[in-house]
Amino acid sequence: MANQTIRQETFRRFSVLQRAVHLTVMFAFIGIGLTGFSMAFSSMAPARAFAWSLGGVESVRYLHRVFAVTLYLCVVTEVVWLIYFKFLLKGNLFGPHSIFFTKQDLLYFRDHMGYILALRNEPPPFERFAWWEKLDYWTLFIGMQTMGLTGLLLWFPEFFSRFVPGYFINLAQVLHFDEAILAVLYKFFIHTTVRHFRPEVYPGDWTIFTGKTTKEKMMRTHPGEWARLNASAQIVPRGER
Amino acid sequence: MKPRLLRSALAVCAMACCFLAFGMVLSSSAEEQASECLNCHRQRNLNANEGILSSQLFCYSCHQDPASHEDFRDVKVSLQVKPEYFYKSSHQFVACTQCHTDVARSPHRSSSGVTCLQCHITFFGAPGTHAEHIRVRCEACHTDSQFVALDIAGNEVKLAHTNTKLLPISLAEHKTTDVSRMEFCTRCHNTDNQVGAPTVVLPSKSFVCMACHYSPLKIGSPMFLVAIGIAMIGMIGTLSFWFRARVQDEASSVHRKFQLGSEVVWSKIFSREIFPILKTVFFDILLQRRILANSVSRWFVHSLIFYSFFARFALSLFTLFLQKVSPESELAMTLVNKDSGFVATFNDVTGIFILAGVAWAMFRRYVTKPEYLTTQEQDTIALVIIGLVTLTGFIVQGTRILVAQIPPQVALSAFVGYFMSRLLSMVNIHWQSVYGYLWYFHAVLWAVFIAYLPFGKLKHIFTTPLSLLLNYKKD
Repeated sequence: MANQTIRQETFRRFSVLQRAVHLTVMFAFIGIGLTGFSMAFSSMAPARAFAWSLGGVESVRYLHRVFAVTLYLCVVTEVVWLIYFKFLLKGNLFGPHSIFFTKQDLLYFRDHMGYILALRNEPPPFERFAWWEKLDYWTLFIGMQTMGLTGLLLWFPEFFSRFVPGYFINLAQVLHFDEAILAVLYKFFIHTTVRHFRPEVYPGDWTIFTGKTTKEKMMRTHPGEWARLNASAQIVPRGER
Repeated sequence: MKPRLLRSALAVCAMACCFLAFGMVLSSSAEEQASECLNCHRQRNLNANEGILSSQLFCYSCHQDPASHEDFRDVKVSLQVKPEYFYKSSHQFVACTQCHTDVARSPHRSSSGVTCLQCHITFFGAPGTHAEHIRVRCEACHTDSQFVALDIAGNEVKLAHTNTKLLPISLAEHKTTDVSRMEFCTRCHNTDNQVGAPTVVLPSKSFVCMACHYSPLKIGSPMFLVAIGIAMIGMIGTLSFWFRARVQDEASSVHRKFQLGSEVVWSKIFSREIFPILKTVFFDILLQRRILANSVSRWFVHSLIFYSFFARFALSLFTLFLQKVSPESELAMTLVNKDSGFVATFNDVTGIFILAGVAWAMFRRYVTKPEYLTTQEQDTIALVIIGLVTLTGFIVQGTRILVAQIPPQVALSAFVGYFMSRLLSMVNIHWQSVYGYLWYFHAVLWAVFIAYLPFGKLKHIFTTPLSLLLNYKKD
């Protein structure tokens, strides 16, 4: 059987650090969601059963904070990597491979919408990260900051009410809850659907876990990157099996 | 209007007024009576500030009076609660009866004393300090009084109700200790204390003590910082030496080497090869198959030391986890308490195993000298450090049992420690002062162990599993 499989040319799309961070964020996000909502909906039986199984609301609260710190450490890792990339590797932050939004993304977005509405015949030649992939990343990255800030207010209310009026704690509670719903809806439904439930990758897009992408997939989903790779004539297939 | 009609109208009005006034008098006296009863017989809502403050005011109606006192052995002991202290404390919005739970009754007297642990989880903050003072009642430190007493039968240190001249003193002031200043420690930790405290204030355990003891996640004494620093330098040196080698034809860029190396590790973990790797972890690293194949006695010696440390480390990690996740649980309280039956016995058994292992290893190295054993200087250093750490551990434990006057029925769980304490009690010196030096000796030895980790023989704790993992295919 093994001889019949076609060995595809593979390319490395995600570094080990990116894979590790994604995996950590994935589990910590599930954990923080479960513990958070079991506290927010503490009047409901399933939430109480879950909290009981973890040893009471105190430990749910503790685990929620452990997951929160883990998630934020991932953010810190990304920032440290960014500094390392910029200053030690002398990388280009706004180049075609970047996760940062550029003006090109706006144009691609317009063209992409045109393609979806059948006004154009071809999708735009997406680079390494398409606009929705960047959106996926930045919603979480920015969301972490606001969730972190409101979360800190709720974690240390006595400390923060030295500087801000008391109703900020209530505000933080409302915002923390509302954004939690937003984040969970976005990550568990939109992100999961867009990344893993599309027909061409169903039941899951393993690229983020294996770090490898195939030539065919790259040509189809990231034609801009593929063209650039060929143009620079540095086709070094890495990590082929 | 006719005068007659006016008159009768006036009369009716007057009567109505009379009735009204009479009714008011009647009802107000009933209300007064009722409120007099309700002063005491009222369930105040202690979840709201109104109930808390009215409850406090009710107690204050007597206890604010400077003349309120109790006659105790012909001495007037003041019972005045001073609002200037109480209203500055963090308990200002707590009703008196929420701490003095059994005092609002007749006779007006408490049997349980103040109940702190109803609200405060034991290891609320400062886990390093609280774990060491598990038999000291909260108020012995947190109430600003100079007098403490040891209750040997109850194995408790509590606030004394008498001063050094055995005259009763008042504890009604409600002045709390400023625990941010270390001076309050000297209340017990002074040269001639009677509560079994060492004469010096010792630093908290460090997280590096986790190998054998439950300890908080902090650096502790500066000597541990130095030791960790030296160990870090050694580890970075070793790592940078390893990364000087070629990784998959990459000779220069460390970034690229790291990238390639991590790629290999990742692809091994998330592949079928994880099963032979796990097999290696289980048989070669955990069960030490290779050493057993080499020599049974060698395996036995090594296992005595290795499994004892492993078990102690596992227990202290589990205790830390439990103490974080469920601090109020009985299991966490038991595991944190080093005098509890299980922990004391466990520590002594594993300690004896380590000592036996070290003694046997020394016997093999210096007396029987099998042919395959080549003893270098670093082997001796490693054995001496481990042996001395364990031995001093037992001596420190024995001294603590002796000094703290832990009752035999509690201390006997630590059978070696108790035996040691009996042995030490034959030497009549001031053990309370010696304890500090012994503790530091034990701690410095461990700091040396940590600092020496990446340099000598002890390096094998990390390198042997690593090389076994790297060569897992070869068997």
